[in-house]
Amino acid sequence: MKKILSVFLVPVFALLFSLNAKSESLTLGWAAWDPANALQELSKEFTAETGVEMNFEFVPWPNFAERMLNELNNQGKTFDLLIGDSQWIGQGAEYGHYVKLNDFFDANGISMDDFNPATVYAYSTWPKGSPNYYALPAMGDALAWAYRKDWFDRPELQAEFKGKHGYDLGVPKTWDELYDMCTFFQGREIDGQVRYGAAINTERGSEGITMGVTAAMYAWGMQYENPDKAYDMDGYFNSDASVEAVEFYRKMYEDCAPPGHSDAYMVANLDAYKSGQVAFQMNWYAFWPGVSKEDSDGRVSGFFANPCQNVCAATLGGQGISVVKYSDKQDLALEYMKWFAKPDIQQKWWDLGGYSCHMDVLGSPDFVDSAVYAQGFLDSMGIVKDFWQEPTFVELMLPMQERIHDYVVNGKGSAKEALDKIIDDWTEVFEDDGKI
Amino acid sequence: MKSAVKKFKGLSDKAIAWIFIAPTLILLLAINIYPLIYAIRMSFTNFYANKIGREVKFVGLKNYKKILGKEEIWEKMQITAHFVCWTLVIQALIGLGLALLLNKKFKGNELLTTLIVLPMMLSPAVVGVFWTYLYNPQVGLFNYVVNFFYDFGIFDMIGSSTLAPWSIVIVDTWMWTPFTMLICLAGLRSIPNYLYEAAEVDRASKWQQFIHITLPSVLPFLLLALLFRGIENFKMFDLVAELTSGGPGSATELASINLKREAFEKWKTGYSSAFAVILFVTIFGFGNVYVKVMNKIKDR
Repeated sequence: MKKILSVFLVPVFALLFSLNAKSESLTLGWAAWDPANALQELSKEFTAETGVEMNFEFVPWPNFAERMLNELNNQGKTFDLLIGDSQWIGQGAEYGHYVKLNDFFDANGISMDDFNPATVYAYSTWPKGSPNYYALPAMGDALAWAYRKDWFDRPELQAEFKGKHGYDLGVPKTWDELYDMCTFFQGREIDGQVRYGAAINTERGSEGITMGVTAAMYAWGMQYENPDKAYDMDGYFNSDASVEAVEFYRKMYEDCAPPGHSDAYMVANLDAYKSGQVAFQMNWYAFWPGVSKEDSDGRVSGFFANPCQNVCAATLGGQGISVVKYSDKQDLALEYMKWFAKPDIQQKWWDLGGYSCHMDVLGSPDFVDSAVYAQGFLDSMGIVKDFWQEPTFVELMLPMQERIHDYVVNGKGSAKEALDKIIDDWTEVFEDDGKI
Repeated sequence: MKSAVKKFKGLSDKAIAWIFIAPTLILLLAINIYPLIYAIRMSFTNFYANKIGREVKFVGLKNYKKILGKEEIWEKMQITAHFVCWTLVIQALIGLGLALLLNKKFKGNELLTTLIVLPMMLSPAVVGVFWTYLYNPQVGLFNYVVNFFYDFGIFDMIGSSTLAPWSIVIVDTWMWTPFTMLICLAGLRSIPNYLYEAAEVDRASKWQQFIHITLPSVLPFLLLALLFRGIENFKMFDLVAELTSGGPGSATELASINLKREAFEKWKTGYSSAFAVILFVTIFGFGNVYVKVMNKIKDR
């Protein structure tokens, strides 16, 4: 009996020990989208260099914030590294979810001066702009536009558009021009199919419509608060310009969006564009490598930064990579970060479809010609603006989602009422948080 | 072993009953009663589950006052009431109608019953997702079928504030009418045939038979089905969350969806506990009144 047992048990234990010996691994959490696949590919190099296995958990965007923030709030150990949204940085720092990285950066010669300043400000620092770093800029991103260049290049459409509006059909320089072009394509039959103007963000559940409407509001010059008095929002967030921008966004939804586009964000916009329904799509730069690749099937896409109106501005996307405070493998996670910050790895990151924020990559003479959307990306990163990055950002985001969706999609009340109500909601949140 | 049997033999019937009931009772206390008491306690605090280290203060009835004084909460309650009332009315009518139909003997009766019951067996989240496709204004089957009968043109069921509340009523009706039907069918099959035979002898018309025999007999069953559906729909979450996310705007934001947002997205634990208690008391109150009415009807 003993012999039989030893024959079976010894190999089992040997296997378990060998697995245990090989168990140096890290788990990284991010959203499930194209750049995540690129990072997975890139990380194989880290495994080859160090022998550390990389595990990934990619969560679909609609559940991303909920899943990750629940994990952090529960002090979970699932993730060693987290590529969290820019707005989480305040929460990550103040509630102690993220490891402060200053000493690590100093000890390893990682300088934030080597990264694009807008991305350092947005993804890494808390309090904002202070030299306290809680993340390394990982994925630069901003909201931008793609358009059907093949339709725009058709002489008959160009002539018709010029006859109607008095200027050339091309990349819109302002939101007014964007509207003219969107409505030009709305309901138009091209190649035997009815086409529509633009797939814009209208999603209600997470952050979609807020990211979309702020692209307009920033271009109209909206400010969240009085620059001289923090959290003083009345007259700034609900200024006449802001109201006009929100009304304009509703006009875009009513006159340009395809039917049924009432709860749409990244994937829905992408689908509407890929299926040939729309002339324009609003989306993040992260998707442009994929859209660009598909040009080979005969569709030709053009890309441009968020149009200006009163000012030039774009909604910030993107994320920094942070080490989770509750991880038992913080040293190993920091090793990964050190590897990821290397300029040659950052170059490979861009080549694979990730948006590096490293100045060596962005400042390289070949960068602008390396992709059709590279110049737009550079332009956008110079004019980005972000939503509140307060620790209470979810509580600030949700009322805005509801109020804006209620006005833009539901047609309830006026833009001014919606913005006033948002200020009331935000005031309550800030009061509750002891900020006011 | 013998001593154990002896010991067991020495126990009274009451003690043995307690031994059998105890595991269930302990489970009930642990997973129902304790969380309920804990939630009631939290509802009097300013507790935020995500704000680690923040002092938890007793705030008395502040959360309750805030909720009951908020216009938007009453809007959510109205949306919930609209959903619950219409689903109950429609499901009662169609469910009873189908039960009457299936109570007749005809070829294919069993197959038809199985087909009608199928939607009830699906996951509500899955139903929510695939109905978003059925409602798609451009390629959705629902719009195609409606336009086949009358040309309304392109219309967006879940993107329109007037149609969206009806879109969730339709899906819930599609999914849960079979439940009402099954319970009514059980009621119909329990009616003894001699009642109808006696009515025939008395020359009662079919309508009189329905009013005086069928309806009174099936009513307690129907009311029971509606009680279950009412409680379920008051708490409805998954189907609507997948179908409309509470939108457009807040047109379909039921009380339960709002509660989930407050509790697990904004992490207002104290506030949302108070809201949960209010919803619980509401369901409990309505449920009790309803059961009393139902018992009166049954006793008649």
